[in-house]
Amino acid sequence: MRYLLFSGVCIVCFCCSSDYRYMHAIEANANCIANLTPKKLNTSWYHASVDVVGSHISGLLLIKNMPDSSIRVVFTSEAGVTFFDFGFADGNFKVHNIIGQLNKKPVIEILREDFELMLGLPFQEASFQSWTMNDEVFYGVKQKNETAYFITTKDCASLRRLELGSARKRKVSVLISGQSYPSPEKIELTHHTFNMNINLSRFEKE
Amino acid sequence: MPEYFKRFIPQINLPWHVFIIITSFSSVLSSAAHAQYPGYNSITDVSSFKKKFATESAKVLSITSDFKQDKILTALTETITSSGKFRFKRSSKVRIEYVKPFAYLMIMNGDKILVRHNNKENTINVKSNKLFQQVNRIMIDCVQGSILDSKDFTTKVFENDKEYLLEMTPSSKALKEFFQIIVLSVDRSDYSVNSIKMNEPTGDTTTISFMNKKLNELISDAVFAL
Repeated sequence: MRYLLFSGVCIVCFCCSSDYRYMHAIEANANCIANLTPKKLNTSWYHASVDVVGSHISGLLLIKNMPDSSIRVVFTSEAGVTFFDFGFADGNFKVHNIIGQLNKKPVIEILREDFELMLGLPFQEASFQSWTMNDEVFYGVKQKNETAYFITTKDCASLRRLELGSARKRKVSVLISGQSYPSPEKIELTHHTFNMNINLSRFEKE
Repeated sequence: MPEYFKRFIPQINLPWHVFIIITSFSSVLSSAAHAQYPGYNSITDVSSFKKKFATESAKVLSITSDFKQDKILTALTETITSSGKFRFKRSSKVRIEYVKPFAYLMIMNGDKILVRHNNKENTINVKSNKLFQQVNRIMIDCVQGSILDSKDFTTKVFENDKEYLLEMTPSSKALKEFFQIIVLSVDRSDYSVNSIKMNEPTGDTTTISFMNKKLNELISDAVFAL
């Protein structure tokens, strides 16, 4: 009975724990926001590697800034077959093209959220709240049911990562390595609620 | 939700396989000027072309070649060029190695395909689903030089004094989603493929050109080891 009670308490504690429980609100640092808010990505080609629930696929990802200031994200196989072509413009999202196997609303929603975070779109012309936790500062933008964060070192020396989370759970994080925005060399996106990773390595066109 | 992705993953190889089949195995194969292909006339006696195609195909035991690939994203006015090495050995071994501007390797050997990228390897058994079986059938058609009889494509043939053009229109819904038409340009002298152009329904195109082709040179099986 004691073990049962103990297990019950553990389960309750586990279920109730929040990834953001130790965050404390602080006053936003305007200089830090000005310096480290992820900037719009430059037009770039990336070699993409996607791992989903034990399966692996790779291809080429184009992020292109269009003359009308919209952004297109196109994923093709190495051999050139286009799998999807998404457009982002002024808070609007458009599927220009997608193959049938991927043309499912939940899939598109996941990819839309992933790319919006990766492109830093939630942070453009946003008003930020800020918190501190451990040795990091979180700059957050409230969205519908979630908050998008860009996370810096406490001294505002560098951008650590981007994150999307619900009130309690961290859902997606984006790590940048090499150069930072607007031309990151490597981008690693990880889902924390299921097993999915997207790894991008920038390459220069011939 | 991840299940959608999982279902997608094994199927997404289809265009790749089709690409491989067309680029590799077809290379073992394969009036007034036609309006669509200036300088080319349509072949009226397709039947004798088929026989010749099959006969000449049987003579090619291996191919070593460089390739250059140009993908044009029409709406985005963007072109990406890649290049690498291609090897084929009869009857079912293919190695495609992208060298620039990224590294990517694909080896087909019998019923298995190996993909290597970023030190990650993925091996697929083509017997694992119906699509792969379809691909296998296309493969056999190509190896035997009978791609012109394939039910997966309807094919028109054109010629000039240097090349044959095989305009392949997919018949199945699955293939139509990826390709509007595929045009193979086949050298008249040895029936090897000079180039392949894949037109997607969106208007985007991918053209792969083969250079420095060497036919029937000895290639070790180790090159195709999985």
